[in-house]
Amino acid sequence: MTEWKLFADLAERAGDKRVAVEAGAGDTVGDALEDLLEDRPELEDRVLEDGELRSQINVLRNGTNVLVEEQGLETDLEADDELALFPPVSGG
Amino acid sequence: MYVLGCLNRGTSDEALERVVDRVVDRLSREGRVGVVRYDATIADGTQESLTIGGDVTYGLGADGDWTASGTGMSVADALEALSTDCEYAVVVGVPRLRYPTLVVGDPSETDENVLATVSGPADLEEDSLVEALEAEEPYETLESLVARVKRSPRADRAGAIATFTGRVRARDDPDDARTEYLEFEKYEGVAEERMAALERDLEAREGVFDVELYHRTGVVGDGEDIVFVVVLAGHREEAFRTVEDGINRLKDEVPLFKKEVTVEDEFWVHERT
Repeated sequence: MTEWKLFADLAERAGDKRVAVEAGAGDTVGDALEDLLEDRPELEDRVLEDGELRSQINVLRNGTNVLVEEQGLETDLEADDELALFPPVSGG
Repeated sequence: MYVLGCLNRGTSDEALERVVDRVVDRLSREGRVGVVRYDATIADGTQESLTIGGDVTYGLGADGDWTASGTGMSVADALEALSTDCEYAVVVGVPRLRYPTLVVGDPSETDENVLATVSGPADLEEDSLVEALEAEEPYETLESLVARVKRSPRADRAGAIATFTGRVRARDDPDDARTEYLEFEKYEGVAEERMAALERDLEAREGVFDVELYHRTGVVGDGEDIVFVVVLAGHREEAFRTVEDGINRLKDEVPLFKKEVTVEDEFWVHERT
């Protein structure tokens, strides 16, 4: 089991700020993303383009950006990871 | 500074006062406590004044003890004044505060942000109240952050403080629809980690002694302050440079999301830029 946290318009499109998915230790971040997007076509449209993650979408695993500091969607999951999916940040 | 509201909901004034006494007493063991009391009977001419006329009067006594009276102060003004040297503020008798509140009696349905409910001093769990209060967002102002960096152990080497204040702009162009408020969502936990890492990073610069970053969340109204960057440095050059880099990096790196509500529309800012 892995929990996704969703923010801003991504949470609105998913209809929820937190979503638990089946993918867990031994699976990858990409597997967890696939679980999340299944049955959420509006969110899928927002985060994927031709099956690839849109460049402006951020994916964090336990606070670390997997696209910058880990192996992207190929990153392995560990037990009870917290994943986060969010659009460009806009503080200030 | 942590702000705690105290409200009487259907109990006696005496019960409320006994709870407030206990709370103030307990908080005083942790740090300096300011108390703000709303009392509608305070009006022109009803309070004993030290002088006739004058808008604000401070009466000063021995050892720095003092009294004050005056006109034109709001709850927000009082909190702002306390924020530079108090660790806690207790606000008694002001409903619909945006701060966590201790309810004495039974909370009404409209009470938001209720931290605890007690019927009297006997069921007040003081330690857990302090713990719950400190888990809430602290109240900061530009002045409270400036006061903090001035207390830095390295302040004797600092010849400069530079600050940045970001505030809600009603309109960018005269023809724009007026912005009523912004609403910020934060990635709880990760945002604080990123801000702390950014502060450490900037403080590692040569000649930079202390950096304070603060960003409000939730609803921030037109004209209100959103974000502060305060830098204590040896000289003005590194102070200015670090303030600019600090706000730019905060905007780029910290997971905060801004929804803008204008008189005509409502949208996520990242979808428009």
